[in-house]
Amino acid sequence: MGCQGVGVNLVKLEEYNILVIDENPDRAAIVERGLVESGYARVARIGTSHNLVERIQALAPDIIIIDLENPDRDTLEQMFQVSRAIARPIAMFVDQSDSTMIHEAISAGVSAYVVDGLRQDRIRPIVEMAISRFNVFDQLRRERDEAQAKLNERKLIERAKGILMKEKGLSEEDSYALLRKNAMKQNRKIYEIAQSVITAFQLEF
Amino acid sequence: MADKVRLGFVPLVDCAIPVVARAMGFAEQENIELELVREMSWAAIRDKLSYGVYEAAHLLAGIPLAARLGLGGVPVQHIVVPMALGRGGNAITVSTRLYQRMLEADPSAMHGPRGQSARALKKVIDEDRAAGRPVMSFATVFPFSSHNYELRYWMAAAGIDPDKDVNIGVIAPPRMFDSLRNGWVDGYCVGEPWNQRAVFHGDGVIVALKEDIWPRSPEKVLGVREDWVNSNPETVSALVRALVRAAEWADEPGNRAELAQLLSEDANVGAPFEVLKASLSGKPVLRPGEAPTEIPDRHVFYRYTATFPWLSQGSWVGTQMKRWGQVPADTDLNNVVRQVYRPDLYRVAVKDLDVAVPKHDWRVEGINDAEDRSFVGPDSFLDNTIFDPEKVI
Repeated sequence: MGCQGVGVNLVKLEEYNILVIDENPDRAAIVERGLVESGYARVARIGTSHNLVERIQALAPDIIIIDLENPDRDTLEQMFQVSRAIARPIAMFVDQSDSTMIHEAISAGVSAYVVDGLRQDRIRPIVEMAISRFNVFDQLRRERDEAQAKLNERKLIERAKGILMKEKGLSEEDSYALLRKNAMKQNRKIYEIAQSVITAFQLEF
Repeated sequence: MADKVRLGFVPLVDCAIPVVARAMGFAEQENIELELVREMSWAAIRDKLSYGVYEAAHLLAGIPLAARLGLGGVPVQHIVVPMALGRGGNAITVSTRLYQRMLEADPSAMHGPRGQSARALKKVIDEDRAAGRPVMSFATVFPFSSHNYELRYWMAAAGIDPDKDVNIGVIAPPRMFDSLRNGWVDGYCVGEPWNQRAVFHGDGVIVALKEDIWPRSPEKVLGVREDWVNSNPETVSALVRALVRAAEWADEPGNRAELAQLLSEDANVGAPFEVLKASLSGKPVLRPGEAPTEIPDRHVFYRYTATFPWLSQGSWVGTQMKRWGQVPADTDLNNVVRQVYRPDLYRVAVKDLDVAVPKHDWRVEGINDAEDRSFVGPDSFLDNTIFDPEKVI
């Protein structure tokens, strides 16, 4: 317990060079922040670059976190094979017995390359942090997409109401009630009815 | 209820077989609900297959062998191959600048058989070395790809050491074309449409086709997990049948224009129709601005046993892995090939169909006038060697 223990721990964590490779700069930033806040001081990140091999050689990472679908992985794996390109061999998910973590990583879209010989118990928290940050990013993106979709639905309804008010001489309230009534009758969403109204009026002109 | 099969593929002309199986109803006829997912990297597709995101995948022939051997720093995976997915349409394309240099360095090699065009490259390399210039860069699509082995075969036959005289790196197929265009690489070996595309844009020249190196060289295969095969043998059979039927459809010359249209969709290959059609109709343009060249066997999906998982072809891939130091010299390759390539699954699947299967799973490759020539198609290596899998050490 106490400060001494924490201090020792931090020194150990700082030993690692971690490299985050991601085409999505927002997600890379979220992962980087998570790692830095957990005490890993030496975190670098790069997007896509054609001189990937040179950049990785210069950074000499102990651990590379890269999004699973990134086409640069094909390039990386070749690089790890050719001994002259990088000094130390790197393996992915060194400990196969940890299949829970591997599955979590795959489903979150995270892959990792690790310098051979690093202890699994010290890699685990880093990969777990990446997994949780990828999941957070995914959640944020989903919420943003949903909010955007909602906004678009509202815009459609507003436009349809405007059309009905202008063309049918209805009040705003009656226009909305008409849309809602039709939606209920046809078992559809209000914005879908709104879309039909807009389409129908576009057709006439 | 239909069996659901998720299959990952990379946008290349040879994804045609699964795409056709779904679009033309062959999967449905076998009671399979085939879901196709487009992937941009071989590593991603391999991992998603290995860890159960997909049941099946369009894979490079070398990937299941490399996975069984745990090569490339990736844990051992038991992926098996119940069928091949045609012979692909690989080619070696160089930048227009390098092409001009090759033409000047050795005009006779460039006007002779395409398989020998690397002789001109050798002269360019020698010129560069004498002038103290840095070595040139070439790209293939994956360490365990037929592209890597074909490019190296072509170079080595002309006296080029692919590990010393050039840099060979890896770039995922959809990024190849931009890399050549931007001058990051001087040449590459990749499947279509990425060669034809470079020619149409005036950025590259095709200097050799895979059929100039070895027409029967294996290309893509269907990869499935061994445990999935063991617990779903009937689904595997149905999937193989659907894909064999799709291959037959795709091979029909009368269907090639429709196939080009289908593949041009963004969800499939997503390349221009004209580029795909030129290649699929067997009339590729090899040099920018020139008339097409007649190459009727440019894309073979079904004929010549193109869907049969020949053990001898797997053995050839393994031999190339050994040749280039990817596997330890004492590996018993043919034993690994027997575990991974599963012609038994293919034979069971097609036994009630009108599909011709070879008598044996192995054959001596590279004898162009062999008795089975009309059945297996043209078969000769560019250096006229013969590959006897029994003599593999």
